[in-house]
Amino acid sequence: MIDAHADQDWRAWFAEHGARLRLIARQWTRSEADADDVVQEAFVRFWKHQRHLPGNPNALVVTSIRRAALDLLRRTDRRSGREQAVAAEAETMTWFEPEADPRQQALIQSLALLSAEQREVVVLKVWGELTFDQIGEQLQVSPNTAASRWRYAMEALRKHITARAHD
Amino acid sequence: MTDPDHDLTSALASLRPRPPGPAVTAALARELDPPAARRGVILAWSTGLAAAAALVLGLYLGVAPAEAPAPSYQLVRAEQSPANVEVLRPVRLDDGSFARPVRVRWDSTTQWEDPRSRTRFINFRPNETTTLLPLETY
Repeated sequence: MIDAHADQDWRAWFAEHGARLRLIARQWTRSEADADDVVQEAFVRFWKHQRHLPGNPNALVVTSIRRAALDLLRRTDRRSGREQAVAAEAETMTWFEPEADPRQQALIQSLALLSAEQREVVVLKVWGELTFDQIGEQLQVSPNTAASRWRYAMEALRKHITARAHD
Repeated sequence: MTDPDHDLTSALASLRPRPPGPAVTAALARELDPPAARRGVILAWSTGLAAAAALVLGLYLGVAPAEAPAPSYQLVRAEQSPANVEVLRPVRLDDGSFARPVRVRWDSTTQWEDPRSRTRFINFRPNETTTLLPLETY
């Protein structure tokens, strides 16, 4: 089989993209530790079975992350939905490096106010670098639904940031 | 005119997600690079297999070729010994006539030689034939 990325230094690739991959994994996991585990497992799966495939590996790695996250959720389904929702709201600040700029801090806090569905579209679009078609495939929704969630998310973020600016 | 979504997207993209922990990096390094021990085993197996292959190849190319070419024998001698004729006592045949059995023996020897190995191939063939010489009786 021909390796389309024979010259690729995958350690360097992961060093460059690992942070945004972890943020994507965080959308479908319950803790930082789970996100680490999922990213590791997903990238190893990709590296073993799919790294030779042609094209941009990004979408394949994201797909691998989603599968690994869903596998983990099925294996460790022990928390209640309420606990998960609370955790998701509380932890958005830990998803990013600390920012000194108050506008960036406000933006991070604003992400926590989005619904989980809107937030995952935002993360997949901005940090996953996926198109709405690809996001639709990942989430098993139509591209229009993905685009609609994106528009609502942008509107909600803008409203929140504007409200904070007036405070 | 600026696109408000574009500005917001740029602002979001400027946020820096936290990288995976050092344990992830270390685990991936282990997965992506074969461990030294496993590499050693592979190397050992490779060396062993290479040595075996070299041995077989050496036997095939080195030793076997010395014996492998078919010998090219050339005829060097063909001899036939003098015939030994033995005349036996007359015998009576079924039709009442008489005949004298005569047995003739001789040997044929043919020799070939391979000039390179100085080996000889000798084909020795003893021959014998018996016939009846009719006798006329008066």
